[in-house]
Amino acid sequence: MAALFEISGFVSGRFVGFVLVALIFVLTYYYMGRKKAPYLRRVAALDAIEEAIGRSTEMGKPVVCSYGIGGFDYWTLAGLSILSYVADICARTDTRLIVPTGGGHESYMVREQAVDLVKTRYLIAGKPEMFNEDDMPFLSGEQYAYTPGYVGLLVRERPGAVIMTGSHYSEAMNITEMANGVEAFTITAGCYTGNMAALACASDYIMLGEEQPAAGAYLSKDPQQLASIRVQDIYKFIEIALIILGLIAINLGSDVINRLMIT
Amino acid sequence: MSWFFRNRSVNLIVLVVSFLLVFLPYFFNVPGLYWFSGKLMTIAAVTTAFAIVVAVYSQYRRSFRIINARRKGWPFHVYLLLLMLVTLFFGLAFGTNCVGYRWLLMAVVTPLSSVIYGILAFYMASAGARAFRARSLNAVLLLVAGFIVLFYQAPLTGAVFPAIIPVATYLNNTFAMAVSRVFAISVCVGATVLGVRMLTGRELSFLGFVEEE
Repeated sequence: MAALFEISGFVSGRFVGFVLVALIFVLTYYYMGRKKAPYLRRVAALDAIEEAIGRSTEMGKPVVCSYGIGGFDYWTLAGLSILSYVADICARTDTRLIVPTGGGHESYMVREQAVDLVKTRYLIAGKPEMFNEDDMPFLSGEQYAYTPGYVGLLVRERPGAVIMTGSHYSEAMNITEMANGVEAFTITAGCYTGNMAALACASDYIMLGEEQPAAGAYLSKDPQQLASIRVQDIYKFIEIALIILGLIAINLGSDVINRLMIT
Repeated sequence: MSWFFRNRSVNLIVLVVSFLLVFLPYFFNVPGLYWFSGKLMTIAAVTTAFAIVVAVYSQYRRSFRIINARRKGWPFHVYLLLLMLVTLFFGLAFGTNCVGYRWLLMAVVTPLSSVIYGILAFYMASAGARAFRARSLNAVLLLVAGFIVLFYQAPLTGAVFPAIIPVATYLNNTFAMAVSRVFAISVCVGATVLGVRMLTGRELSFLGFVEEE
C-alpha cells in the first residue's frame, strides 16, 4: 500500500507523521506560553507518594524507590523525575531512601545519572551527609538476577513504602507481591500491558498510561508544565477522530485514511 | 571542569543536539545525518561499556564493606564476589565461548533465571486471588473473562474444552486489543509531550535540576 503523500526530501510515508509530531510541539509550546493551569483530574498514585513516605517516616522504616530496568527511554526519564521528587521528600524528612539499580544491559548508564540525581537532592536539602551510595546498590545487569536481589532487599530491610516506577517488566509482579508480603505501602507504574492488570491487583496505587510521563509536570505544580498536559487531551481527540474516519472510510471501500497514516 | 557539566544550559544543548541527531534522520532523507546518528549511537555504546566498570566497582565496594563489618548475610557477599571473579577470569582469559564461561552461563545463570520467571506464576495467582472477588456485577464479568482467558492459556484446555477457544480468542482480539491500543496511544502522546517539556527546558528534574537552582 503506497502512502497518500510522498514529499521529496522526506523518508517514504513519514510526512504525515512529521506534521503530527510538529503539531504536538507547536501546541505544547503554545499552551506552556499561556501559563494558565488547566483543570486536571487527581492522580491518586502521585498524590499518595507523600503519604507513603510519611508513613515510612512515622514507622521509622526506609523507603524503596526504583526507576526501572531500561535505558534512557521515556519511561526511565519519567521514573527519574519521580525519584527526584521522592529523594527530595526523603531528604527533608530524614527518611532513609534505598534505590535498587541495574536490571538490564542498558541500565548501567542510567544508574550513574540516578546516583547523581539523588546526591544533588540531598545537597539541595542541605543534608549531604545523609546521602549514602551504598543505599543505591547495583544488583545486577541481568533482569532475573536483579529480581531476587530486589526481593531479598525488601525482606531484609522491611521498607514502609515501595515506589516502583519507570520500565519494570515481568519482575514487577515478584517485587510488588513481596512488597505486599512485608506490608509495605506499594505504588507502582504499569508500562508493560502484559502484566498491568496483575500489577493493579497487587499494588495499593498504580499509574496507568500517560499518568507516568505526566508525573513530573503534575508533581511540580508549575502552571506552565501543567498547561502542556492539555495537549494530550487535544491529541487524543484528533486520534479518536482519525479512528472514526478510518472506520467510515474502510466500510465505504476507501483506504484513504490507511494510506494517510501508513509509515 | 565539573561546573561545566553541571551547567543547565550545557545539559540542555546536549539534550537538544542528541534529539535532533536521532529525530531528523527518521523523517528526512539526508544521508549526512545518518552518519552523525550512527556516531551518536556508538558514543552511547562506549559510554555504557565504561558505566559497566563503574557499576561493578560499586558492587565490589558495597560487598567489601558488608564483609568487613560482618553485617547480616556477609557470607553471601563473599560468594557473590568469588563468582564475579571466576566469571571475569574465564571471560577475560579464555573468551566467552570457553567451557568454564559457558558452564556458568548455562548451568547456573539460565536455570536460576528460569526459576525466578517460573515463580512469577505463583505471585500472579496470589495477587489475583486477593483482588478477584465477585463483589459486584463488574467484578463478576472481570472474574469470568479472567477465568476463560486463563483456562485458554493452559495447554490441556483446548483438548478438553474446545468450545472455550473461540470465546477466549474473541475476548483477546476485541476487548484486550482495544484496551492495549488505548494504552499505547495515551502513552505515545504523553511521552511526546514529556519530550517537548524536556527540550524546552521546562522539565529537567530527571537531570537533577530544580527551580531553586
